[in-house]
Amino acid sequence: MVHGNGHHRGSCRKNKIKRILDLDKDTCPNREQRANGTNVYYGKASQLLQDAKEGNINIPDRKFQQSGGCVLNFYLSNRVTTIRDAVTIFNAPVGCSAGSLGYRELYRGVPEALGRTNEYNNAWLTTNLQQEDVIYGASEKLRDAILKAEERYHPQAIFILTSCTTGIIGEDIEGTVDEVQAEVNAKIVPIHCEGIRSRLVQTGYDAFWHAILKYLVKEPEKKQDDLVNVASMLSYTWQDRLEIKRLLGKLGLRVNFIPEFATVSDFEQLSEAAVTAPICPTYTDYLSRGLEQKYGVPYFLYPSPVGFSSTDEWLRNIAKYTGKEDEVEKLIEEEHKIWEPKLNAIKQEFVSLRKNGEKPTVLGSLGQGRLVSQMPYFDELGLATPAAMAQDFDDLLIDELEEIVEKSGDFQLMVNTFQAAEQANVTTNLDPDLTLTCPFQGGTWERDNNVTRIHSLRGDPEPTSAQAGYAGAVAFGNFLLHAFKNRSYHKTLSEKTEKSYKDWWYEQDNPLYYLNESK
Amino acid sequence: MPKQIAIYGKGGIGKSTTTSNLSAALSDLGYSVMQIGCDPKNDSTTTLRKGKSIPTVLDTVRQRSGDLDNLVHEGYNGIYCVEAGGPEPGVGCAGRGIIAAIELLDNNGIIDEYSPDIIIYDVLGDVVCGGFAMPIRKGIADQVYTVTSSDYMAIYAVNNLFKGILKYSNNGGALLGGVIGNSIKSSLQEDMIKDFTERTNSDVIQFVPRSPTVTRCELDGVTTIEGAPDSRQAEVYRELARKVINNKDKYLPTPFDNDDLADWASGWINQLLLNRKVEIDNIQEEASGI
Repeated sequence: MVHGNGHHRGSCRKNKIKRILDLDKDTCPNREQRANGTNVYYGKASQLLQDAKEGNINIPDRKFQQSGGCVLNFYLSNRVTTIRDAVTIFNAPVGCSAGSLGYRELYRGVPEALGRTNEYNNAWLTTNLQQEDVIYGASEKLRDAILKAEERYHPQAIFILTSCTTGIIGEDIEGTVDEVQAEVNAKIVPIHCEGIRSRLVQTGYDAFWHAILKYLVKEPEKKQDDLVNVASMLSYTWQDRLEIKRLLGKLGLRVNFIPEFATVSDFEQLSEAAVTAPICPTYTDYLSRGLEQKYGVPYFLYPSPVGFSSTDEWLRNIAKYTGKEDEVEKLIEEEHKIWEPKLNAIKQEFVSLRKNGEKPTVLGSLGQGRLVSQMPYFDELGLATPAAMAQDFDDLLIDELEEIVEKSGDFQLMVNTFQAAEQANVTTNLDPDLTLTCPFQGGTWERDNNVTRIHSLRGDPEPTSAQAGYAGAVAFGNFLLHAFKNRSYHKTLSEKTEKSYKDWWYEQDNPLYYLNESK
Repeated sequence: MPKQIAIYGKGGIGKSTTTSNLSAALSDLGYSVMQIGCDPKNDSTTTLRKGKSIPTVLDTVRQRSGDLDNLVHEGYNGIYCVEAGGPEPGVGCAGRGIIAAIELLDNNGIIDEYSPDIIIYDVLGDVVCGGFAMPIRKGIADQVYTVTSSDYMAIYAVNNLFKGILKYSNNGGALLGGVIGNSIKSSLQEDMIKDFTERTNSDVIQFVPRSPTVTRCELDGVTTIEGAPDSRQAEVYRELARKVINNKDKYLPTPFDNDDLADWASGWINQLLLNRKVEIDNIQEEASGI
């Protein structure tokens, strides 16, 4: 991929995601600035595409908004803390780190037999900022925390997660880091994830990778031709991690999984890999571009390994960069031989579930990256997706979304982050046979006739929850099938729970009823 | 790499006037200049724009238009004018505004895109909080200048700025390029400022005399360089511009403790008072911010 930097004074700033990343800066631009991101939209996918191309995307205010994550706690606080030989310092009031508490327990649900390391023990500190620190500045506290982290844990790296508080009072984090770095062995990695800096939690991904690229990735000592960088495996389930490892292992390739449960040396060697492969493109984008720009590590962003055809293509892309073109065809053939009959059986059952010859309909709720890979998979299963919900949308995936609209036709698209009420409304109005939600995006709720299910939970170790690769395509197909066939969960849910919202809300034909049009 | 400087000083001391004249003079000397006003009052660059204000960076962000094309506006002789902007008086956090505006310009490569030879940050007041220290942190300005008169409170503000410079100097922050003595009417005032710089390991780069020409041009919405290019005052600004562009000095100032500063100043102020009664009037006049 070639990235031009031919920007001149007054030149059009559209497509600015193509610009070279400036890793000398303390942090990245936010996602709004870098890629015209939004998390407020409902309408035709084609309209959103057109708006994006014309640079007309914005983020209007809602008059009613449900709570969600922030740049710090949606992503970083529960994943950076999993890095094994590192310590995370929350440079924040104590509440900002609360989100990662639950994850320690959640991840401990992954059996060690499945590869979860037993050294995993979330080590984190907080500077516990108080009124006095806000008034007088808190650089000494950060300095103390860094020295304590070194003394207590002797880590390879110390990550600093910044917060709204440090952002507002203008703490000179880099200044403190420069000063104290000489006193500790650990590499200090400050990450600018001040919650107020962006309305898109996805900015946290970019801020994290910016810091990784700037501080942690080493100049390659040697190229590792069999090493494949795969980021954000925990956007999926634990089983997916195993499936990716299995498939690439069969090609004689090793996976460099980052950041979850990685070691610091896994980050350092990112520059030596043969290719960076996507699992969640919206997440991996910044890292992929940075590694290519700085170290020449090639990358691709589409497709992710969801469904048979996308997994085929994902593997072929990796094979191209690792010289495994022949082996990959053999692998694909073998895998299809094993898994295709199982997938076909599921497809047959879905055919039998058709009413009046109509395909069952699925409304998926996904990140924008998953959206563009999951819709073709639903198509493979013989399911119709007349609509979809995505957490975010930005210029990063314009081409891919366009391809889907061209291939599968136009569809209704809802973009929001954690707005459960809007999702409940859309679900009622579109009345799909099955609505899949993200655990952070509404959970499941009662529906009179049809079904809502959570598609997966980070770290879920159950083989039945898998989604990636061939095994995942079959497991996920079965999961969907069960949701259709066995309705007892929903029956119970309907009987035992009140409706979440008043009838009035379900009757509104516009899920963005509460949008503040004047702003 | 462009030369990046930040100009600080007490409110009303003639900071924006000096900055805009410096920008205009540099531009006349053939340099490509960007002036970034870091003050919620949004009036740093008005005399470069015939008295007209420009939309601020923060207003643009606030409207969420995603339009980063219209943050930079051309002024006198093609000078790139930027106003950070900020909240209305009495609300919000102006310091965070400065941080947000500078990050937006910096992280999106907007400054790089225009590749000026020199970037001048015109910053409100003394370094009251982390936000207003942003321009002197590592990676932004490499030299700080401060504008002061012989008024005690103006020098007090300079002394505070020196404390800020000292604080950030350990972390690669900007060092002092020099002190600009402004509104000078007597050699005794020059002596006072000179003495202050000698005692704080800094130096005066230029004295700018008090001049009705400056005021007249300002009322016309232009700089002295533009409005009275042949005046003696304009030559003073051009001289300042030549000095600034060639100045490689980087002082690590040694500010007074507050009590010592008061003791030092009282000696000088007594002398000024004794010297001529009319001097008292000037002190008061200058203190009122005219």
